[in-house]
Amino acid sequence: MADIAGVNGQREHFRVVGQRNLPGKLSYAIAAGIAKFGNDYALPDMLHAKFLRSPYANARVVSVDTTRARALPGVADIVTWLDEDIARISSHGESFGPGARPWLDNIADQEGAEVAVIVVAEDEDICDEALRLLDVEWEVLPHVVDLFRGRSPDAYVIRPQVRDTPTFGAPGMGGPPNPPKRGNVAYSNVISGDAEAGFREAAHIIEYDLYTPAFAAHLPNPSGSVAWWFDDPYCSEGGQSLRIEGAVRERMAIAMMYGLPPEKTVQEGLFMGGKYCDWGLRKSQEITPLLAKRAGRPVRCVNTREDMFDFIMKQRYVHMKVGFDDAGMITAVEDDSIADGGVWGSSSFGNVGDLTQGPYNTLKCKNVTQRMEIVDSNRGKMYVSGQHCPFNWDSITMAIHLIAEKLGRDPIDIARLNLHGPTSQDDINPVPSFEACVEAGKKLMDWNWHPAGTKKLPDGRMHGVSFRYQMCPRHSFSSYNCKLELRNGVVHMPTQGPLFGVFAVECNAMVVAEELGLNYDDIQIDFDYRETFTPVGGGSDGTTASAWAMKECANILKRQILEAAIEYANDPPMPGFGHGFGPPPPPPGPFAGLTPDDLDIVEGRVVLKSDHSQGAPFRHATPKNIFATYSGRPPLALWVTGQMGKQLDTMNTAYCEVAVDTETGEVEILRFGVVADPGKVMRPISLESQIDQVMYFSQGCQLLEDFVYDEKTGVKLNNNMIDYKKPGMLDVPRVDREFLETRAGNAAYGSNGISHSLANTHLAIIAIYNAIGVWVDPPATPDKVLKALGVI
Amino acid sequence: MPSNVDTARSVTFTAETASDRAAALIDGIPVSLTEYRCPICGGTFTGYADLKSHYATAHEGAAAPVVAVLTLNGRNCEVLIEPHWTLKRTLQFRLGLTGAKHMCDKGVCGSCTVIMDGRAVLSCQMLAVECEGRDIETIEGIAANPKWRPLIDAYCRWDAMQCGYCTTGFLVSAKALLDKNPNPTEQECREALAGNICICGTYPRHAQAILEAAARLV
Ligand code: FES
Ligand code: FES
Repeated sequence: MADIAGVNGQREHFRVVGQRNLPGKLSYAIAAGIAKFGNDYALPDMLHAKFLRSPYANARVVSVDTTRARALPGVADIVTWLDEDIARISSHGESFGPGARPWLDNIADQEGAEVAVIVVAEDEDICDEALRLLDVEWEVLPHVVDLFRGRSPDAYVIRPQVRDTPTFGAPGMGGPPNPPKRGNVAYSNVISGDAEAGFREAAHIIEYDLYTPAFAAHLPNPSGSVAWWFDDPYCSEGGQSLRIEGAVRERMAIAMMYGLPPEKTVQEGLFMGGKYCDWGLRKSQEITPLLAKRAGRPVRCVNTREDMFDFIMKQRYVHMKVGFDDAGMITAVEDDSIADGGVWGSSSFGNVGDLTQGPYNTLKCKNVTQRMEIVDSNRGKMYVSGQHCPFNWDSITMAIHLIAEKLGRDPIDIARLNLHGPTSQDDINPVPSFEACVEAGKKLMDWNWHPAGTKKLPDGRMHGVSFRYQMCPRHSFSSYNCKLELRNGVVHMPTQGPLFGVFAVECNAMVVAEELGLNYDDIQIDFDYRETFTPVGGGSDGTTASAWAMKECANILKRQILEAAIEYANDPPMPGFGHGFGPPPPPPGPFAGLTPDDLDIVEGRVVLKSDHSQGAPFRHATPKNIFATYSGRPPLALWVTGQMGKQLDTMNTAYCEVAVDTETGEVEILRFGVVADPGKVMRPISLESQIDQVMYFSQGCQLLEDFVYDEKTGVKLNNNMIDYKKPGMLDVPRVDREFLETRAGNAAYGSNGISHSLANTHLAIIAIYNAIGVWVDPPATPDKVLKALGVI
Repeated sequence: MPSNVDTARSVTFTAETASDRAAALIDGIPVSLTEYRCPICGGTFTGYADLKSHYATAHEGAAAPVVAVLTLNGRNCEVLIEPHWTLKRTLQFRLGLTGAKHMCDKGVCGSCTVIMDGRAVLSCQMLAVECEGRDIETIEGIAANPKWRPLIDAYCRWDAMQCGYCTTGFLVSAKALLDKNPNPTEQECREALAGNICICGTYPRHAQAILEAAARLV
């Protein structure tokens, strides 16, 4: 049963939760063009700052002469890595990878890396000119952008000083220690069970390769900040206060970086732009307070689009060996991968961070060996701080399709056979949510799987289908500090900004309205950066977890309102006398002598449960202002207990149907299908939107997107939106979606989040295989399809 | 604290308040310049001639800024800009209008779209000096005009936005479409917005919103 520790987990009737077309609390500001993102701020007398960026993939700045740049009219300041002010600062935001590194140094470990110098000037053109006038002596070093070259024993070692042992996600508990780092390669092995024994049991063994290209995060709004210092009438002690915009949710990290108390670090902007698991602060978001302090003027530092081609997914090569019996039951898995470790400080997601959260935990088979080589490279940086769509998930999706192909069986049946039940890997009963999803999915897609290369469409193109399952993540390891206020008869929900695009505040407001018998519009959101409640924490799953906590808080407030209404009715003011100054108090409701259990709240009125016509609006029911707080989280945070995937509750399934033109090599995704069970649908349009987003991400990385490097120089050749193609309106396919509500999640009303668990790297690729019978590595561009077919 | 800083805290954004704030931004743009600031050294002058002679002496050889008159949302305004400045940059850094957004700066994403003489154009690809004498309509002008409330409403009702960064570009393109074709089909909506990129993948909701708005606008 969902929500056993909470209130109303099994609520049956919903008036507000689940409604469509309730505008976001910030939507009108966005639509009207008055929403200000960090890079939008422009202040009088503002200076601009830019970093020196490396033209080389791997280099060291030996020396810099700033004389000519300083002499340029309009240059206000130049700071180098040797400056004491720079040496004093260190980052306190999300940080990844081992090894302390100065905040700015003379090492450039990718083309475009910020290195050695920052210039501050009257405008960006003068910054550019000043950067050109720097006399920089570079020591250009060999680079690694090809992982295979980087792992060879004679490769130049680009970063001998760090990453002796991967720190996050591996090795498995009690497993053998990882081998020490050799050259550019660190090792991370996760071993469970006995794969060798599993292979001996197997009737069949298949081996296959799976390649995942790097995929650009490129956030919609270029990262950067504007900062200034001001005399703060509310907090004058200790000098000026800092105002910074563009530090996204990392105001506290900025406060720590500059040794400021939180109350002297102000960020009022409400719009942080698209931040999907990418919380790493860029240097442009951290440096402006220092530069503004030195200049005594506001300073803006914003990256260009070219500076923003970071990874949301890193390159990875996987070789898989899977053993299975005649029925299709997997008996052993060996997963050998070579993964990009990225530049110094890259997130370990996309390599070692995924190892213990992969798809294997969802299988009954416990004989799994994962061996990973993580290759230091000069390719780029990944800032992603959490992923629920582990990047190697589709290694098992591919296995399921290959087993099905070999045995002439439907891949859905193979998945069903191998997936364990809700309680553990020994639970052989299918997950009810999975069964519900595939039943609906088969109908949605008119599912009729066929062996590879066997179905031609009337127009002559080859037809292919694929299927994939994932679990809905539960992210409830954070606690949420909730506060609700009844103030002058209106319910306020104080909330910290800034917000990004998951409509989390709205979902929480809907829950408050639901529990308090109010309408969505009745809930007043008070945005204030000093507040503690922020529903951002793991995307939609964080939303549903925070909504659970907010539901508890709403019920505490409700109880307090009912008690106050009775107290007021039991002790009404004498006629002609108030409880203080001001207008005479309103007459109380007919609640004298009752208990809170006799009362309810309906449509903003406290009423008798027995007769809803008897009651009083909030303002009359109590003259009090009432504050309710709740701090906590829903039960069972599986991430924390290590049971992620070993226990299963709500699942989701995705389907893809493609047509492949074997003459031109063109692939058309005819449609994606998604049947997902988020437990309970809280805000339907958000959910639809989130699913569309991940399916378009997935389409992009499988058909269109890849980083291209010049091997000789290590320079990225396509870090702009012309040469790196993201899907547009006319590129994206139809996405048919259906939602189930099994109420089996652990958050509000049995909900679970979806997050980006549907994001996939191989659903379309497998459908292409099903169409033409040969594998094409992503991105499956027409030339690659034709090559795979042997046509060119 | 600098005077033009937005303090959005505790503001409830409704159709009315958002529209009023957009209108206030437009109204706040001075019709004529009273101060001429040197973009190189920050010195200020009370007349353009003074700025030019300052250039001649202090920044010899540098191209002096020019005074351009832009017709923005139905009103003329003087701006002091350097000849190579784009309209996008001018809107943000000279006129305080940030509804047109900078995403790609290469004419690819449509986030900076404005309407010029009735056509949707990319403000990151237009030199501001070339826009003199042309009718420029920005999202703020559209939002401030009650006639277009149904379009703004529909965008909000249908969540035709996630992070919201690209949204204004889409909305301006949508308005340009409805100007020409008040009853578009879904396919016509998609084609009209083909030049706008949304990293958050909000694509299907735009046509939904435009079709609803079209029905209410007639
Ligand atoms: S910013 Fe102008 S088209 Fe992208
Ligand atoms: S809503 Fe975020 S880029 Fe479109």
